[in-house]
Amino acid sequence: MTFLIQQTLIYAVPLMIVALAGVFAERSGIINLALEGIMIFGAFAGVLFVNLTQQAGVFDAAKANDNYLALQGFMLLAMLVAAILGALFSLLLSFASVNLKADQTIGGTALNLMAPALVLFFIRIVANQNTLQMYTGDAASWFMIKKSMFGYGRNDDMGFFGSTFIDKTYLATYICIILFVVLSILLYKTRFGLRLRSCGENPQAADSLGINVYKMRYAGTTISGALAGMGGFVYALTTANCASTGEVAGFGFLALAVMIFGNWKPLNIAGAALLFGLFKCIAASYTSIDINGDGVFLLAQLGISPHIYRMLPYLVTLVVLAFTSKKSRAPKAEGIPYDKGKR
Amino acid sequence: MKQTKKLLALLLCLGMVAGLAACGGGTQGTSDSPAPESTAPAGETTPADTEEPAGEAATDPDSIDDNMTSADNTYQVAFVTDVGQLKDKSFNQGTYDGVKLYAAANDLSYKYYQPANGNEATDDDRFDAMQAAVNGGADVVVCAGYLQEAALTRAAIANPDTKFVFVDGYPLSDESGNVLTNVAGIAFKEEQAGYLAGYAAVKDGFTKLGFSGGGGGTNPACCRFGYGYVQGANAAAAEENVTVDMNYSWQYGSTFQPSSELQTMISGWYANGTQIVFACGGSMFQSISAAASANDGYVIGVDVDQSGESDTVITSAMKGLSDAVQWAVGHVYDGTWDEIGGTATSLGVNDNAVALPTSDDAWRFETFTVEKYEALYQQMVDGTLVVDDDYTKLDTTDWSNLTLTVI
Repeated sequence: MTFLIQQTLIYAVPLMIVALAGVFAERSGIINLALEGIMIFGAFAGVLFVNLTQQAGVFDAAKANDNYLALQGFMLLAMLVAAILGALFSLLLSFASVNLKADQTIGGTALNLMAPALVLFFIRIVANQNTLQMYTGDAASWFMIKKSMFGYGRNDDMGFFGSTFIDKTYLATYICIILFVVLSILLYKTRFGLRLRSCGENPQAADSLGINVYKMRYAGTTISGALAGMGGFVYALTTANCASTGEVAGFGFLALAVMIFGNWKPLNIAGAALLFGLFKCIAASYTSIDINGDGVFLLAQLGISPHIYRMLPYLVTLVVLAFTSKKSRAPKAEGIPYDKGKR
Repeated sequence: MKQTKKLLALLLCLGMVAGLAACGGGTQGTSDSPAPESTAPAGETTPADTEEPAGEAATDPDSIDDNMTSADNTYQVAFVTDVGQLKDKSFNQGTYDGVKLYAAANDLSYKYYQPANGNEATDDDRFDAMQAAVNGGADVVVCAGYLQEAALTRAAIANPDTKFVFVDGYPLSDESGNVLTNVAGIAFKEEQAGYLAGYAAVKDGFTKLGFSGGGGGTNPACCRFGYGYVQGANAAAAEENVTVDMNYSWQYGSTFQPSSELQTMISGWYANGTQIVFACGGSMFQSISAAASANDGYVIGVDVDQSGESDTVITSAMKGLSDAVQWAVGHVYDGTWDEIGGTATSLGVNDNAVALPTSDDAWRFETFTVEKYEALYQQMVDGTLVVDDDYTKLDTTDWSNLTLTVI
């Protein structure tokens, strides 16, 4: 059970935060198809930062002395770098779709095509191969929260809560969840949020009330880029041993699906991401999931082909989408470049 | 209208996912910047004194640049990579180390060629890489991996004057059945290395083991590693009078690449008590060691001594790729090619070609000592201990002290 919850969170959190990134852009009226590309770019930026900082030996002393606080700070810095570069990368999209009034679908697709190529190009320059890894050590030994940090020994039990939500987790996961909550409140309960959403529903009305639609759309897309970049790095950190390979296994597109699936509403998105994460986790590890702890691996004993399990996450998404998509309602003005002269 | 637009966008996305997945693997070509070597020197233990001490001026292979520029723009010793990356810290890298060491010691020029399209490389891509090597002036082309068979057959027929070393391979023949004398097949007795690792792990007190192999169960080398590993674990368990459990899986390994799914699966094993996993396949090591590190588990490395990669590596089932390549390339340059051309060479304990690393910092067992290991090794050399290499018997054998769970 502990294992299932932890792994589900690991898959769900990047999806969740990137889907929220999509919400911020779309609520302001810009379709952000470039989530995948921004994730790839953010992951690369974060990993490169980690690699270079390790190479410079900045945190070697902290690592040697088991100064976990400093190491967590290091990870937060890397997340921040990924977010900043993700935001910068997304400016390309906002510039094209706000200033140039270009077709947003095409702009996003262009970024999606550009990011992996650009990142692989950089990786080959930096690492002379197709993968950029940490300079030394692995993600778990540097950044993972373990019970030993709290003075527990190898065989001590932390209890269900401790072993599920503290031991063997990444701080990044919780930062993302907190950010998710804070930003959802920002979107729904603040003046800024209301203005942002109004630009995605009826920009003309918003403009007539003195809201600068261009600024709002820039803000929405930039927040979106920062979140997606950070999500990309969190994905690389928690599931790919902090390595950047010019891809994020389609998580950006999945996040888009999760966003539509979640009807552009944060709570639904969180649910959708958890559902998808759960099935993704079951697909990869069904042979070692022991739900009630009696040593019987039920799913493995059913004797179903592993391919069925691997299809499950996508099948479930399709089925749920089929049932919910009728009710889904996209922001009204999304995808339409705002033209002051048009009413 | 809006709805259809949305749908169209979604469809486009899906198309992109497929497209990206297809070409995610790889760019080719070489760049000039030297690879930043990570932490530890992937030190071969000692240059095994096989029949011929070819590159005796053995230096650290990592100190030799991967890319060299020769004055006349021809490259005499060429290397064509297997799937995965050159710097996989395992199979490709170990083989290329041999090329570099021999070439550096004998003042030859060398170059590596990666077949186009990465892990989706076709026989045509591989043939093109070999032909490029031949056109680049190669006297000998070292081709790593059994996947190269079809391309290598073509290349060897097309270029009868060029010598080919087929690592993890066997002799090849043309359509009318004539053995190609310009191809030397070099295989290893991986089952012996696997046996040593499995035996050592169980002797050291591990009772819940795992095996995660690359190539999807079709790679003979990985199959032999795995089969030997099971035999060794079973034998040690019988001696200790214990029963050991083993998870045995080829899943998520067909391309030898790390993946989040592989990491999750192995994490699941560790979370359910598996103590040590044999990471049998190039870059897959990344995912497996990440899972081990997160769960305080242990890993057995493969092909080369991987103890420098992670503290979780307790030992490595090594095969002397570097030495074997130097030995074979040596035969090209000292005029004794006829001894190995067109024949199958299978290197095992008798040739010092398979082993566990015994240097102090690589030996991380607690109760199993180097002396005990060497005694076991000697038994294999004497022939008193024979490790079976027919891996098709893995499923049908009734293991006395081992519960095998094939996943």
